[in-house]
Amino acid sequence: MGNKNVLIIGGGTAGLSAAVELVNLDIHVDLVEKSDFLGGHAIGYTCKATRNTCVKCGACMVEEKLKDTILHPKIKIWTGSRVQEVSKNGRFTAKIHCKPKYIDPHKCTNCRICFDKCPVDGAILHGFSKNNIPFYAINEELCLYLKDKSCGLCRDECPETAINLDPKATEYIKEADAVLVAAGFHPFNPEDKPYGYHRFQNVITSLDLERMLKQVGRVKRPSDATIPERIAFIQCVGSRDSKLNHLWCSKVCCGSALRMARLLKERQPDIDISFFYIDVQTFGKDFEQFYKDVQEEVRMIRAIPGDIYETDRQKLKINFLDNNTHETLEEIFDLVVLSIGITPGKDNGEIAELLHLKLADSGFFKSGAEEASAPNTGIFSAGTISGAMSIPETIASAGKAARQIVKYFRANDS
Amino acid sequence: MKDKTLIFGNGPCAHYIAEDLLSTGEDIVIATTDKTCDFSPSEHSESIEILTDTRLVSCRGSVGDFRILAARNNKEIKRTVAGVIVAEEDQRKSNFSLYGLKASSCVITLSQAKELLLDSSHKQSIFLKAKKVVFLTGLVKESHPAIAEEIMHSALRLQSDFNLQTYILTANLKVAADGLEALCRETKEAGAVYIKFTDTRPEIHSKSNDSVQIEFVDEITLKKFRLTPDITVVDETIVPSDYAVDLAKLLSINTDPDGFVQADNVHRFTVFTNRKGIMVAGPSRSIQTYSDQITDAANAALVSAGRMAGLQIVPEDRAEIDKGLCIRCLTCYRLCPYRAIMLNTRVVVEPHACERCGICAAQCPRGAIHIKDLEPESISNEMATGERLQEEDTFMPFLVAFCCSRSAIQSGELSLRMGHKLPPGLKVIEVPCSGSISFDHIYGAFERNADGVMVLTCHEGNCHSEQGNIYAKQTVAQIMDMFLQIGFEKERLAVQTLASNMGTEFAEMVNRFEANIIELGPSRLKKNQ
Repeated sequence: MGNKNVLIIGGGTAGLSAAVELVNLDIHVDLVEKSDFLGGHAIGYTCKATRNTCVKCGACMVEEKLKDTILHPKIKIWTGSRVQEVSKNGRFTAKIHCKPKYIDPHKCTNCRICFDKCPVDGAILHGFSKNNIPFYAINEELCLYLKDKSCGLCRDECPETAINLDPKATEYIKEADAVLVAAGFHPFNPEDKPYGYHRFQNVITSLDLERMLKQVGRVKRPSDATIPERIAFIQCVGSRDSKLNHLWCSKVCCGSALRMARLLKERQPDIDISFFYIDVQTFGKDFEQFYKDVQEEVRMIRAIPGDIYETDRQKLKINFLDNNTHETLEEIFDLVVLSIGITPGKDNGEIAELLHLKLADSGFFKSGAEEASAPNTGIFSAGTISGAMSIPETIASAGKAARQIVKYFRANDS
Repeated sequence: MKDKTLIFGNGPCAHYIAEDLLSTGEDIVIATTDKTCDFSPSEHSESIEILTDTRLVSCRGSVGDFRILAARNNKEIKRTVAGVIVAEEDQRKSNFSLYGLKASSCVITLSQAKELLLDSSHKQSIFLKAKKVVFLTGLVKESHPAIAEEIMHSALRLQSDFNLQTYILTANLKVAADGLEALCRETKEAGAVYIKFTDTRPEIHSKSNDSVQIEFVDEITLKKFRLTPDITVVDETIVPSDYAVDLAKLLSINTDPDGFVQADNVHRFTVFTNRKGIMVAGPSRSIQTYSDQITDAANAALVSAGRMAGLQIVPEDRAEIDKGLCIRCLTCYRLCPYRAIMLNTRVVVEPHACERCGICAAQCPRGAIHIKDLEPESISNEMATGERLQEEDTFMPFLVAFCCSRSAIQSGELSLRMGHKLPPGLKVIEVPCSGSISFDHIYGAFERNADGVMVLTCHEGNCHSEQGNIYAKQTVAQIMDMFLQIGFEKERLAVQTLASNMGTEFAEMVNRFEANIIELGPSRLKKNQ
């Protein structure tokens, strides 16, 4: 199938996995990723192995898919790019809009000088994997030069002259024989919940904790960089929530949070951890044993707190109904981790419109039986674009999509 | 060679795979222990052979050329196939004993309840006379969304079609599957009552007339309740079928801690096993919902159909056995995680099955196995480039880190990218698997003036070669013992585990090691001492 080409929208776990499967079958791939880095959310996840033993979270497999993707000559990578128009006349014709390439990947040596010199926190972004190339990117929203040309430090200091702050956006027309939508999910934004996210510095999300552990290997309070004595994990933030009409379990949060809790207990054993939950979901093999072990290390509280208030020294006061005493308790924590759910991607509507598809009522793409009703459109989907999935499930769904694409090509060639 | 795929199984997943492979013109053989096979291909019937009432006896050979011996009515059946897919079913074990109950006319399994509800006439159904039905799930052992889904569907039917009251007694309600949270709400709206237990459990009494009485204190209202259901439905534990477990043994594929027919290893996502060319799909590899089975089937078909592409070129860098040195001790045969060692007239390595992990070469007592670029000598030469002499007064230790290509090499590079400082005297040596490291490699490093040697390997359960990291630990432990006896500091040798995404931890490990070695001072084995 050396003359076939597939346009993949989304360079996260699903897009990378599908790309690797397709090129193994000699199919060319254009992989379009809107952000500056491939790997999606999962590339920022930490390894959660404890006692030198893998807990099968799958984060390292995303790393492997990314490595295989960037090494493969048949995968054309478009980071910082969006598919803007798609038309079908036999083949698909797509317009790809690429935002300006400020850092030349061929010149950049990832020396980090730009990152260190930049005066604005967050104006230069970094990747999470050595296979994020280049490892740094200019954040258009915060860069002073792009705002009012008042700074150019990164460009001036770059020893390789790899930074150009005045390049133009570009547009390309690409043809494809099939389109795979793998644009992923949106991590629930908990700002509207009464938990004080973004108002209280020491309320963080599970995604923030994943990244913190991956970056520095230890948990610290964002407010003062001290080690918290007491941490509360709050589950189902944005999941299983009828008020939000989020009538789904995000599947992955119990596993992610409890595995991180155990990792913390191993690395920083003095931390007390409380885990607020509705139901603990089964994950991984040998769950029975894991669940027994974790209950010895983590205090499990079957209640979802109502509100969080900030107290002195930026500690956090949580009110909850205690299961044992049936009283409303008030406890103080140093850090709160909100296990935020998997919600429909922000671009789902736009992508659906682009491809003349209808979204499910939930806002996710339709999957399973519904999706099979239109097998001959040449448009396929993979991963969390159609609902919550773990990393292994996402990889499996990408394999399934790759097989569907192969069959589509076979059917349309004969 | 005809590229034919053998599928074991006669359930939905096996049939999906068969249909899928036939649709793209692949040749298949279906083998089932059942007397009949329900699969009837819509087309391409010339490409399919169905073997019913057939059990596998043995499987020799490797990917591209498996020689299958099976039996049907004591008659031998021989086939040669390029690939094998195990797509057998699961089976249910009743959980009566967990709840102190016995099967009776009013205590039934979830499967029995499902079957009764499937019968569309349901004139004979025991549910017709019943008023209250209790489901017991996950109260002693944790349940699973696949079970929860069946309970919810059954409860919904009973509430709406039979107009009776259902109670679902559970600890953790498992809703981590597509559509389950919504289904749960639907059952609640239909009138099903969920009673959840956290710190307490209901008392379940079996009466002499087989009826069941359940007493509990509701954990929210603290009120006492007594339930006397007409029918009690008890959940089940899902395990792989016995034949699937037999197949795993016959095919030498590793199983997981719950007994399912696929090693619990991230490198086996989705349908892979430790053996190239042998896959496992569907409910014999894990507890699955129906849509999981469809996904598995597609993945198995994807890999099967793409298999031949990888077999066109014979790789030249694989393990080779020196027949002059080999004494047929079969150490390699026992240890090869991929079953790439063939016992023909002499012991040989099948290059397509070999993954070049090097375990056989490291463990061979005769040193009869060679892998290109993995010989202790060539690795020693690589070390020479990192060797440095003492710089003036300060001691800068020369450290050698043998790093697994899948984990530590990656994390080391990430560590640099993240801006961590690594010891200036660190020489990283890439090995395909730490299982390839032998005494000669480690001793060779000390001979090459290393002040300290680290073996950085994958976490347990994350080794692509299953046990390579364990062998590495054993090798290091033996050498440490030896160091202890000869009075050489064993602290100069360390083995630690990492994953590919642990850049920070890599830096911590090597820097801590460097500090230890600086404290110990230069190695006495150094030639320029």
